[in-house]
Amino acid sequence: MSQLTRHRWCLATALLVPWLVLASPGPLKLAGVAPAWAVLWLLPWALVDGPLSGALAGLGLGLVLDGLHLGPISEIPALALLGWWWGRMGRLGPPIERSFSLGLLALIGAALVGGSLLLQSLLAGGWPLLPALHTWLAQTLLTALLAPPLCSLQLLLWRRQTLGGRS
Amino acid sequence: MPPGRRQRLPALGGILQAWPWVLLLLALLAVRLSKGAGFADAYALLSRPFWPGSAQGEWLRSAEILNSQTRLSQLELDNRRLRSLLQLQTGGKGMVSAPVISRQPGGWWQQLVIGSGALQGVRPGMSVTAPGGLIGRVASVTPSTATVALLTDPGSRVGVWVGRIQRHGLLTGIGTSRPLLRFLEKDPGVRPGDVVVTSPASTLVPPNLTVGVIQSVDERAVPATDAVVQLSAPLDAVDWVQVLVP
Repeated sequence: MSQLTRHRWCLATALLVPWLVLASPGPLKLAGVAPAWAVLWLLPWALVDGPLSGALAGLGLGLVLDGLHLGPISEIPALALLGWWWGRMGRLGPPIERSFSLGLLALIGAALVGGSLLLQSLLAGGWPLLPALHTWLAQTLLTALLAPPLCSLQLLLWRRQTLGGRS
Repeated sequence: MPPGRRQRLPALGGILQAWPWVLLLLALLAVRLSKGAGFADAYALLSRPFWPGSAQGEWLRSAEILNSQTRLSQLELDNRRLRSLLQLQTGGKGMVSAPVISRQPGGWWQQLVIGSGALQGVRPGMSVTAPGGLIGRVASVTPSTATVALLTDPGSRVGVWVGRIQRHGLLTGIGTSRPLLRFLEKDPGVRPGDVVVTSPASTLVPPNLTVGVIQSVDERAVPATDAVVQLSAPLDAVDWVQVLVP
């Protein structure tokens, strides 16, 4: 368990998430909405490194992203839950490698993160429902579309690292 | 003249011989009545190659711009003096220019991160403008950066003023690129095209900063009329902003 965290540079790749959030590259947006970069990094990490590492990575990413964003709504609960769930899935089930499976898991993850933000926003009373639904749908779809190529590459990289660590 | 001698009328032949002169006289009369039409047009046609060129036009435009800027400065000074006499909020001491280093006008958070922070004198609550007008207020600062909550952010509330109808309203971000202007009364008489500026009575933002233009009006809204505002500053394209130091 937590073999990836032994490799410091693997953990350092998590810095790409806040960097991409801040850079917010225009070509990788759908209707002005960026993908959930945290989900795209957390999914392969948790699948390879287990539930505890996944939950902690989710918590850490959530803390950083909440610090970068304004307002009271938080990504921490959804990211920590997803990290734990994907970690359990990676440990207990057969290895997940197919693009469709990765896309589906990312879709569920982005929907959960967006749903959690949507709920918090509605409870806070700031967002009208229609623009919030637009943001939620656009982010979920885009994250699911980007997941197969990006998560496959990361899975390959992380699994090579863990196999190298065992040998 | 000897008595008994009859006065002779000019011969008809003589009158007929003078017709070109009569015609000329009539033409000159027409020129007189038309205030020089024909002569002036002919002069314009002939002198066109010698008319002032584009350089002279540019000089005139520059002079006009300079004149307008001078008048604007003078009016701002007058405005500041009068506002201080009335003990209203004044325009401010200066501004800090800052580059936009992160732009997130869409999504769950509608914010910009700018490359000036506490070290440059930026503080939370300061107003931020871009070419076109007000875009938001500083929400948080680090030593070298500041996060700006855009007017489109659902947490944003700014008091504004519609000059044509002389009415106040509350500009509220709703998460889309166009914030909503909520009026305090049911039928304020607002219509698309009206210009929206910051409220002269606002304590949060400097007065009379351009915000945008009314795009559509919902008169059936409850409890009072709503209007969608198109911001005059392009949030997707802004590269540099100015933080107004109060």
